[in-house]
Amino acid sequence: MAVYIDINRCIGCRSCEVACQRVHGGHGHINVHYVGDYAAVPVLCHHCQEAGCTKVCFSGALHKEGEVTAFDVEKCTGCGLCALACPFGVVWTDKLAHKCDLCQGREQGPACMATCPANALSDDFELAARRARERAARAAAVGGRR
Amino acid sequence: MIRVDARVCLGCMSCSNVCPSQNITRSEDSGRRTVHWKRCKEECDLCVELCPAKALSLVPWDENIPEPEISFDLVACRICGSPYATEPMLQRIESELPAEMQKDASGLEWIRICPVCRRDVEAEGTVRQMVLARSRK
Repeated sequence: MAVYIDINRCIGCRSCEVACQRVHGGHGHINVHYVGDYAAVPVLCHHCQEAGCTKVCFSGALHKEGEVTAFDVEKCTGCGLCALACPFGVVWTDKLAHKCDLCQGREQGPACMATCPANALSDDFELAARRARERAARAAAVGGRR
Repeated sequence: MIRVDARVCLGCMSCSNVCPSQNITRSEDSGRRTVHWKRCKEECDLCVELCPAKALSLVPWDENIPEPEISFDLVACRICGSPYATEPMLQRIESELPAEMQKDASGLEWIRICPVCRRDVEAEGTVRQMVLARSRK
């Protein structure tokens, strides 16, 4: 499981950043980036299958648990290699590594997903694709955008 | 006392983070990171155990040995130019990741780019896909 983003819906309000920081004691793991003045993209851990951060972690703190790229804080030395091995820049270190843990231990699931007012975040991989197909079908039915 | 093999030290933040008596200090200013190992009488080997490069070892106390100190010039990001990592750390990552992972779809060598710019590149790439999908008829 990972959190998927539908950027067609993101309104760039940064509520997800706040929600994430609240759950993780001020250390948030999601960043909203603005592209020009027309789009906003929340960037967060992809929980890669072939995760670079787990490959370079020498202490075994970052490891794969099924689909999830998990983090064992007890083993982390804060060396900083993981932050440099993440192609998306979503792992960072400050004495310890910080990365998305999908709000482990939070019953309602990831806080960013729950808080997004635009429903741009979800853990359903198919949802964004389904919405895109719906938009395409609607556009075809009414003659597309003008 | 701690002995440091300067040829293998990565200049990472492991030893200075794990030392319980703060005998290892790390400072960063104007694109340079300096790690300083103070004379240490503790019978603890956390730093030795937790060094990713195995650069540290414990040697008997000797007043004549100077306190080791290594400075690293931080590598500047190829996009924004801000210093973000030591060269040995980046080389370690290049040696541990499979070659096909070291370039993204557009051929960008992302290891030489700082994490903030990597996020920007990721955001721009995602938006480009969205714009393309929308402009298709």
